Amino acid sequence: MNKEITCTQLVQERLDLLKSNTNNTVNSLLDTLALELAAKVDAKIANGQEIGLLEGIPFGIKDVYMVQGTYTTASSDLLKKYKSSYTATAIQKLFDAGAIPLVKENCDSFGHGSSSENTIFGAVKNAINPDLVGGGSSGGSAVNVAKDYTVFSIGGDTGGSVRQPAGYNNIYGLKPTYGRISRYGLMAYASSTDCVGPIAKSIEDIRIVLNVMSGKDIKDQTTYQSETILEDNILNADEIKTIGYFKNFIENDAIDAQVKSDFLASIEKIKAKGIEVKELDFFESDTLVSTYYTLAMAETASNLSRLDGTNYGARIEGDNLKDTYSITRSENFSEETKRRIVGGNQVLSQGFSDEIYLKGLNLRDQISDNFEKDFKEVDIILSPVTPNSPPKIGDSLSDPLAMYLSDAYTVGFSLGQLPTLTVPQGTETGLQITAAKNNDELVLKFANFLKDTI
Amino acid sequence: MSKIMTVDVLSSIKGAQPSETVNKLFEVIKKANTTNNSFNKNHNNAVSLDDLREDVVIDSPQAEKQIIIENFPKEKNGFLVVSKVIEE
Repeated sequence: MNKEITCTQLVQERLDLLKSNTNNTVNSLLDTLALELAAKVDAKIANGQEIGLLEGIPFGIKDVYMVQGTYTTASSDLLKKYKSSYTATAIQKLFDAGAIPLVKENCDSFGHGSSSENTIFGAVKNAINPDLVGGGSSGGSAVNVAKDYTVFSIGGDTGGSVRQPAGYNNIYGLKPTYGRISRYGLMAYASSTDCVGPIAKSIEDIRIVLNVMSGKDIKDQTTYQSETILEDNILNADEIKTIGYFKNFIENDAIDAQVKSDFLASIEKIKAKGIEVKELDFFESDTLVSTYYTLAMAETASNLSRLDGTNYGARIEGDNLKDTYSITRSENFSEETKRRIVGGNQVLSQGFSDEIYLKGLNLRDQISDNFEKDFKEVDIILSPVTPNSPPKIGDSLSDPLAMYLSDAYTVGFSLGQLPTLTVPQGTETGLQITAAKNNDELVLKFANFLKDTI
Repeated sequence: MSKIMTVDVLSSIKGAQPSETVNKLFEVIKKANTTNNSFNKNHNNAVSLDDLREDVVIDSPQAEKQIIIENFPKEKNGFLVVSKVIEE
């Protein structure tokens, strides 16, 4: 640490930037807590005590994570005044490592969106061009990192919600292997694909934060014990001999011509380094998007059924209990959230579940099988993050189908529960690097290779 | 006889209707090919019996209890108030 600035000064400076920012990234500032913690770090330094790698580092938290005593709104009216009673495991691990939380960050309500416009706190504006969306659902987190308001932020990725905003704001964003980081204390959207994901400006920062948050947690029984990824282990990518890309992602009408030619130019640079590149077959974009949304809606309908205003949330009294539930939910959920809950209940109902939900699960199995087959042939799969550049603010809300389809390149990897990193290179909205399950290390390794190659 | 429940009742959302946009997604699924693979074979997220945590009640810390009470939407004379439950 540069001793010319104290931790308190650093934290105060970032808090001031967050407070005055016009990109709508902030749902609430954690100023009292942050300054208290900063003072402790300064005292440690003054006493000559050793400080850890993340000690005193200011970071942001998507407003879907529990942090005891802070408002956790999920950018919704329903939870506008809701205070977390406990702290999420992943966030607690960062606290234990000495990182300092500055802000609960704006996002799409309950993660329902790809633009961070579906929020009661105002649409998040893109860090590069404020007329464009910040991406979503972790838009506030990505913009804060891109603007240097936070050193890193913790987003949540269910179908691309870390990777896409990272791409839209030209920074790094990782969706680790499902289960590598505990979901305990992350407000559930679609539990079978929900992942905690770090957003930062360098691969090294992603590595450090990932290591701190990873590990088995008795409070999330889908977690597994993983190895720490060492800095030296990701510097040399010589073991990566073959990569692949999905031909149908690139050879279709939906992809922007510039994104396509930039992607293919990146492939040529990789080939020039002696790496074999294979064209792979994959499912059509509309099948991927429909499978993901069908399953995610079913899961969110179930997860959000607890939000009825009885024990917490903005209850609106009706004539009786059922009336209270339905008024509370219809008045306090956004149109997008209601659309997903209703869609989810449709597919879970008798008569529909066989035809749609169970078929969706079958398609997911086929997608996973396809990945297993692919990773017998290639070490890495490379793809664009999005088919197009970020939309203007306002466009996504008026065309939800277009918004769903814009997730075409991210949702497949979520269904496969694979580790995927967005790097700010290759196309206007970056590239995604994916490896087989539990191989997050290889993803970071290839990212270092790309940094020097493209 | 089974009672038919509409999506607004199922979702506890007044006036909720199925969305045309979402129905378009469902149409894609209906038309997609399925395989005869055994159901759910890749979803090995189930927890092994050896891995289950102890089935014990863990008391919440006082601070946690206090916030849970603070979050309760309505209080009267020291009691937490819920809506009237009606029998149907």
